[in-house]
Amino acid sequence: MLKIENLHAEIDGKEILKGLDLEIRPGEIHAIMGPNGAGKSTLGYVLGGRDGYEVTQGSVEFEGRNLLDMEPHERAAAGVFLGFQYPVEIPGISNVQFLREALNAQRKARGEEPLSGGEFLKRARAQADALGMEQDMLKRPVNVGFSGGEKKRNEMVQMGIIDPKFAILDETDSGLDIDALKTVGEGINRIMRKPDKAVLLITHYQRLLEYVEPDAVHVLAAGRIVRSGGPELAVELEREGYQAVAA
Amino acid sequence: MTDTLDLPTKRQEEWRWSDMAALEAAAQSPAGEAPDADGWFIDGLDGPRLVFVDGEYQAGRSDAGPVTLEQLSADTDHPLGRRAAGAGWVLRVGEGGAKTCIQIVHLGSGGANHVPARIELAADATASIVETYAGTGWANRLTQIDLARGARLMRSVRLLQSGGFVSLRDEAEIGEAASLVSIVLGAGDMGSRIDGNLRLTGDGAFAEMGGALLTRDSQSQEAAVVVHHAKPEGSSRQIWRAVAADTSTASLAARVEVARDAQHTDGEQSLRGLLLKRSATVNLKPELEIFADDVKCAHGATVGELDKRALFYLESRGVAPARAQALLTRAFVADALDRIGEEAVREAFADNADRWLESAL
Ligand SMILES: Nc1ncnc2c1ncn2[C@@H]1O[C@H](COP(=O)(O)OP(=O)(O)OP(=O)(O)O)[C@@H](O)[C@H]1O
Ligand SMILES: [Mg+2]
Repeated sequence: MLKIENLHAEIDGKEILKGLDLEIRPGEIHAIMGPNGAGKSTLGYVLGGRDGYEVTQGSVEFEGRNLLDMEPHERAAAGVFLGFQYPVEIPGISNVQFLREALNAQRKARGEEPLSGGEFLKRARAQADALGMEQDMLKRPVNVGFSGGEKKRNEMVQMGIIDPKFAILDETDSGLDIDALKTVGEGINRIMRKPDKAVLLITHYQRLLEYVEPDAVHVLAAGRIVRSGGPELAVELEREGYQAVAA
Repeated sequence: MTDTLDLPTKRQEEWRWSDMAALEAAAQSPAGEAPDADGWFIDGLDGPRLVFVDGEYQAGRSDAGPVTLEQLSADTDHPLGRRAAGAGWVLRVGEGGAKTCIQIVHLGSGGANHVPARIELAADATASIVETYAGTGWANRLTQIDLARGARLMRSVRLLQSGGFVSLRDEAEIGEAASLVSIVLGAGDMGSRIDGNLRLTGDGAFAEMGGALLTRDSQSQEAAVVVHHAKPEGSSRQIWRAVAADTSTASLAARVEVARDAQHTDGEQSLRGLLLKRSATVNLKPELEIFADDVKCAHGATVGELDKRALFYLESRGVAPARAQALLTRAFVADALDRIGEEAVREAFADNADRWLESAL
């Protein structure tokens, strides 16, 4: 589904990703762990197509298409979802307005009919319910005044509404309380654990992986994958730290 | 022919951002055929409808309701407003008079036209007036407003001319516990100068004048408003948004004056500019002049660009770049237009802003 080869990327002329290889097949969930500043979020932004993240070498294929050639909104329409480590506040645009606009733009790009206001609201309410988000928050401006955990939950509600093929979730677990972590974990399984979908889960903690069991765990350090293994690698990392494991 | 109009010059502080050359060109443009009035009225609003073409009242195409047509003097020393003497319109509502929503459409075909207006609301009377400017030429207006105790006026003005210039001069006296809300949207391709002088002359009066100016190409629009608090317990708001694209210029000057007697004044002034291109200009000039000691005046003035992080957030969810810009820009002006009281009017103004955004981005 996603094939990254020898990916080099820089920000402001500073190389952050230094030859990263990763392949994720349909139906798989991969976890990426690694020290602060290793380049995990950078990888997410490069896959999302953010301005200022320049790919200098390597390739990224998504379902056989060159992902790097596509604009951010085209990547979204192709089925890529980026869950942000720091979701952005947008005053003046409500959650529902934002999401309906986004979903219908994607549907249009794929040649599908737009969802009516009623159909959309039904879908949005169901996702908010499933993820334990107050219905009121759907009407509030996007992320404005949301707590850290509420923002992360909102990312998952968005993912549920958009129903992508491939999700990159950047520290979606950070800032969640213990109950929310469980709800979000179950949400990820419900929305994404399907034979034709895949997830790249960026996390610092093994805890989320107790709910969302990964098929593979990778350690990203200094811009490269330095070690890969099964779920047991996450346990080992938690016990021994990155330095010991990545050395 | 430049000196025949005797216009203010950039050397005068209050006119230094004004585009009098655009006004002059509009004044000298040839008159032709004015556009149809129909599309310019807001549907779903009952009430009188008046049409002016090149400043002349069109009795056959209007239903004036309580509005009367009268000869008016231009009792002002404002350099543009004082030209507007002659045939104009008057709305007088007697004590406790109920609310009517009056729509006035001004169509211009070219050349200069001047119309004075008076709005006089007796105690506790209410009225709402929506004015739309379309077509071209120089439309010059002087509107004098007198609100008695407890009267309430909602005034919404949209400048949608495809070219030319619109200059508005509003002068208002707002009595005890009376309220004036004036919201202006500049979303056409004309130049503009919106000039206001609002005086709170009774205790506990409320005055608001604000809106959104959207400029593109080499267009210039500007608002210059003074709110004067003469009596205690008054509140005022000036919430203006300027959005400038291409090489255009949008300028906002807002001034609050609080006299020594005007204790417990609550003033809010928010001027914000958004540059859609670095080649555009937004000028902001917030001013406070306070002589009373116990007042609250919140004010802020900022110019910026669209938030890149917010743009990427929208795009990463599937929204195309131009649409993402339009959504964020609309959110930016929403604060100013949300103050319009009637839903149908608010929505019509928001639609005009949307249409502008769609074609400018
Ligand atoms: N705009 C920028 N200019 C220069 N360097 C940057 C910029 N943005 C990020 N970096 C650097 O890139 C490196 C990787 O950052 P990134 O956010 O990808 O790390 P991360 O692995 O997600 O870390 P964390 O676990 O703290 O979230 C860091 O050293 C960071 O300082
Ligand atoms: Mg990060």
